[in-house]
Amino acid sequence: MATTSFTAPKLSSPTFQTLCRNLPLSLPIPKTLSSFSFHLSPFLSRFHLHHHHPTPRFHPRRLFAVRAESENGAEPLRHYDFDLFTIGAGSGGVRASRFAANFGASVAVCELPFSTISSETTGGVGGTCVLRGCVPKKLMVYASKYSHEFDESNGFGWKYDTEPKHDWSTLMANKNAELQRLTGIYKNILNKAGVTLIEGRGKVVDPHTVDVDGKLYTARHILISVGGRPFIPDIPGSEYAIDSDAALDLPSKPEKVAIVGGGYIALEFAGIFNGLTSEVHVFIRQKKVLRGFDEEIRDFVGEQMALRGIQFHTEESPQAIVKSADGSLSLKTNKGTIEGFSHIMFATGRRPNTKNLGLESVGVKINKNGAIEVDEYSRTTVPSIWAVGDVTDRINLTPVALMEGAALAKTLFQNEPTKPDYRAVPSAVFSQPPIGQVGLTEEQARKEYGDIDVYTANFRPLKATLSGLPDRVFMKLIVCAKTNKVIGLHMCGEDSAEIAQGFAVAVKAGLTKADFDATVGIHPTSAEEFVTMRTPTRKIRQSSESQGNMGHEAKTAAGV
Amino acid sequence: MARKMLVDGELNQTNKEGAEYDFDLFVIGAGSGGVRAARFSANYGAKVGICELPFHPISSEVIGGVGGTCVIRGCVPKKILVYGATFGGEIEDARNYGWEVNEKLDFNWKKLLQKKTDEINRLNGIYKRLLSNASVKLLEGEGKIIGPNKVEVTQPDGTKLSYSAKHILIATGSRAHRPPIPGQELAITSDEALSLDDLPKHAVVFGGGYIAVEFASIWRGLGATVDLFYRKELPLRGFDDEMRAVVARNLEGRGIKLHPQTNLTELVKTDNGIKVITDHGGELIADVVLFATGRLPNTKRLNLEAVGVEIDKTGAVKVDEYSRTNIPSIWAVGDVTNRMNLTPVALMEGTCFAKTVFGGESSKPDYRNIPCAVFSIPPLSIVGLSEEEAIEQVNGDVLVFTSTFNPMKNTVSGRQEKTIMKLVVDAETDKVLGASMCGPDAPEIMQGIAVALKCGATKAQFDSTVGIHPSAAEEFVTMRSVSRRVTARGKAKTNL
Repeated sequence: MATTSFTAPKLSSPTFQTLCRNLPLSLPIPKTLSSFSFHLSPFLSRFHLHHHHPTPRFHPRRLFAVRAESENGAEPLRHYDFDLFTIGAGSGGVRASRFAANFGASVAVCELPFSTISSETTGGVGGTCVLRGCVPKKLMVYASKYSHEFDESNGFGWKYDTEPKHDWSTLMANKNAELQRLTGIYKNILNKAGVTLIEGRGKVVDPHTVDVDGKLYTARHILISVGGRPFIPDIPGSEYAIDSDAALDLPSKPEKVAIVGGGYIALEFAGIFNGLTSEVHVFIRQKKVLRGFDEEIRDFVGEQMALRGIQFHTEESPQAIVKSADGSLSLKTNKGTIEGFSHIMFATGRRPNTKNLGLESVGVKINKNGAIEVDEYSRTTVPSIWAVGDVTDRINLTPVALMEGAALAKTLFQNEPTKPDYRAVPSAVFSQPPIGQVGLTEEQARKEYGDIDVYTANFRPLKATLSGLPDRVFMKLIVCAKTNKVIGLHMCGEDSAEIAQGFAVAVKAGLTKADFDATVGIHPTSAEEFVTMRTPTRKIRQSSESQGNMGHEAKTAAGV
Repeated sequence: MARKMLVDGELNQTNKEGAEYDFDLFVIGAGSGGVRAARFSANYGAKVGICELPFHPISSEVIGGVGGTCVIRGCVPKKILVYGATFGGEIEDARNYGWEVNEKLDFNWKKLLQKKTDEINRLNGIYKRLLSNASVKLLEGEGKIIGPNKVEVTQPDGTKLSYSAKHILIATGSRAHRPPIPGQELAITSDEALSLDDLPKHAVVFGGGYIAVEFASIWRGLGATVDLFYRKELPLRGFDDEMRAVVARNLEGRGIKLHPQTNLTELVKTDNGIKVITDHGGELIADVVLFATGRLPNTKRLNLEAVGVEIDKTGAVKVDEYSRTNIPSIWAVGDVTNRMNLTPVALMEGTCFAKTVFGGESSKPDYRNIPCAVFSIPPLSIVGLSEEEAIEQVNGDVLVFTSTFNPMKNTVSGRQEKTIMKLVVDAETDKVLGASMCGPDAPEIMQGIAVALKCGATKAQFDSTVGIHPSAAEEFVTMRSVSRRVTARGKAKTNL
């Protein structure tokens, strides 16, 4: 869903629906049937009394669902308003609802009214990704990247009589017009799939009943996909801070902004505001940004961002925000006070939206972070209630929520119990420069495999040699010494996110370093570096710590 | 097998009779293939000499330069100009993102040219250093073969040196070819196009291959009026037809005037510029006319006849699967053999040559699933089979998955240009046989996909890969519904 318009035609593609609708007709009774046979007869007798769907071709698909109920113990036979009621129409919820409907289920989804800022009472069809996350963020990244491109273009002979100026309101207007279009598209998608969309706040009343602003709906299955929201720690003056929701929809350009946090959201916004010519200070608790990422990537991206003018304040934690008489904000930290901020943004984590959903009362277990506990099939502790996406706090990425939603629809309505597969999930950070990665970090690989070979490249890309800017690219392959499999791939530099995707297919497929080497490069690209890394930078062996540097291959050789 | 034994036998001889030759290997031509083969052979312990013509951006019989076409007159300078030209569109796109940029932009061609020249000079130096670091002896001059184991190098001052070598490698590359029409001398080739003193105001490009569309894109991006003439209905013959149509549409969308199925018949010098006459009777005036009508191997002055090295009718050196000519001590790699004329392929051939001859390991270059890119604006990149090739080659049905979409960036910039992606899958085995994409970043995106294809990845493996969101590339792993199923031999079974 990188792209916006593709989603619409694709998701609602008649082709897909036709396929899905028609497919089961020609399907033999699934093999899995035998394993359910124990539950079969009570189910079948019950099913025939259930007239929600007149077409009998959906019988087999109900099996798993019914098994779920029978596990829950004997339950009186009843009619439900819907086979599935989804609370939350973000990435995971929409995906699960649409697919469920395509598989023949009757589905409703409820969502809060649209707003660019989320709260207990506002949200909007499309969810975080479309309205307050991936999409507006990426649009802002596009907008902000131009200032770097203007700089680059100088090196390529382009000249501007007057320095290009940025008009904040134009960007916001165009961005919001796009978001409106997208939320419309999402509504359309649901509508075309035959999903009933209900605006309002959903609350679980019992294992089969949802209350939306006072109206009750019954459902065989309930899906919680309410996502997460930014979290701002409670320090004096925190009411003056903004979160990422607000940062994506500021009425005017922040002149001088403090960003608290070292995670991907913090870095992405640092790049955005820096590119849009704000003065940017980033405050991180640790020595380095991006905890959890590969150490070398952490170092590299920090250096590159600093070179573009972002000021990092490491090991500096906020203690209070003070508003001055002139309206400007001061940030007091463990190291001192910095004054004169127009905005202070907290990117200090997100929390699942599980409050006031009625979950505790029906027995849905929630962990200490507020995330719903689910099994491998996304089922909560209440058998008829399921949860996908950020509210479960597994891997909080749109494509993972999509995977979880799709798997759930298959499990419930296609008689095909499907676990989401969390191995080798690639991801990107749209910092400037961006990061793309898949698989293990060097540190994880060392722990898990012991003996690994690490290949790295750190080079000045062709574009930078002309632009004269200090941009560099860093790439890294981590190979299991025993199996030769590529178990980790990391890149920071222009186009990293786009480059990592294809390699993710290769890593997911378990390909080896030899397979990479056998692939011919595309010249001249940055990506070709991943298939032309001939000499390991270091070989790590459990017996002896490290074999050190294996020699220098001149990167400037452009592969020759 | 026989080949391997022969090579091993020869290697043993090297030890015994090593002193007999000046070099174990003498390479004629220090481009991508030659430099790679020379360096790798030297790394295997061979004594290597290499000769190359004096450096100049524009090649001829007597000038060239270390680095070869790729570095001096091809990939590198071309990509630099493509970068330069891409900014034109980028700056337009910036406006709807809120950037206020002067209507009238100043682009300084001379500055770009100077920086390009600086960069290729720098690379030329790096290549020379690479050779000397590998202990390869570099000689400046024109190489000729005067015996199965003898090479003569004519130095720039005219003195001739001759060397004996156990193996000779021909890696002289190719040069642009001009069609013999009246006034052809008024036209330029890609060599000159990369070094023009002034940016053309109105350029005519003749040719439908990748070089033609790349230069059309470069000049258009920098503000010139561009007319592109080609013989076929669509540019880029040999590529997937659907992609060709998209490229044509995009070129047009960016403001290039397309003249399909049109030949140039004559060029005439006039006071206002060059008058270009077509076989449709059309006429127009241009200040630059580029012929991008193909390249021919550089074999004319190598004296190949004297030793009996066979060449084909295009002038390409004939070689076997190990890059050996019909004369056992003479080998050839790269464009001069006219196999697949790409830098990374020449590198692969050079590597395999060194392994085979000096590494004790017979290695054939593998030409399957070689990815490539056309740096038009926006670019095209492919790996594996086109839809047409798949239909031709596969026994059973072919599944075609396509996705055409408006890239996210365009939703705000307002640019009307779709990105298209395509996967061609063998219905029976589920193997992905071909992938193609036309849109921003296509060449960068395709490299990883190429690894997957090279190793026989299935559509199911693509589908099981989670997307990177929001990217264009994630489309390749989220193509759920088949666009069409085609039975072998091109009959559409269902067109959903």
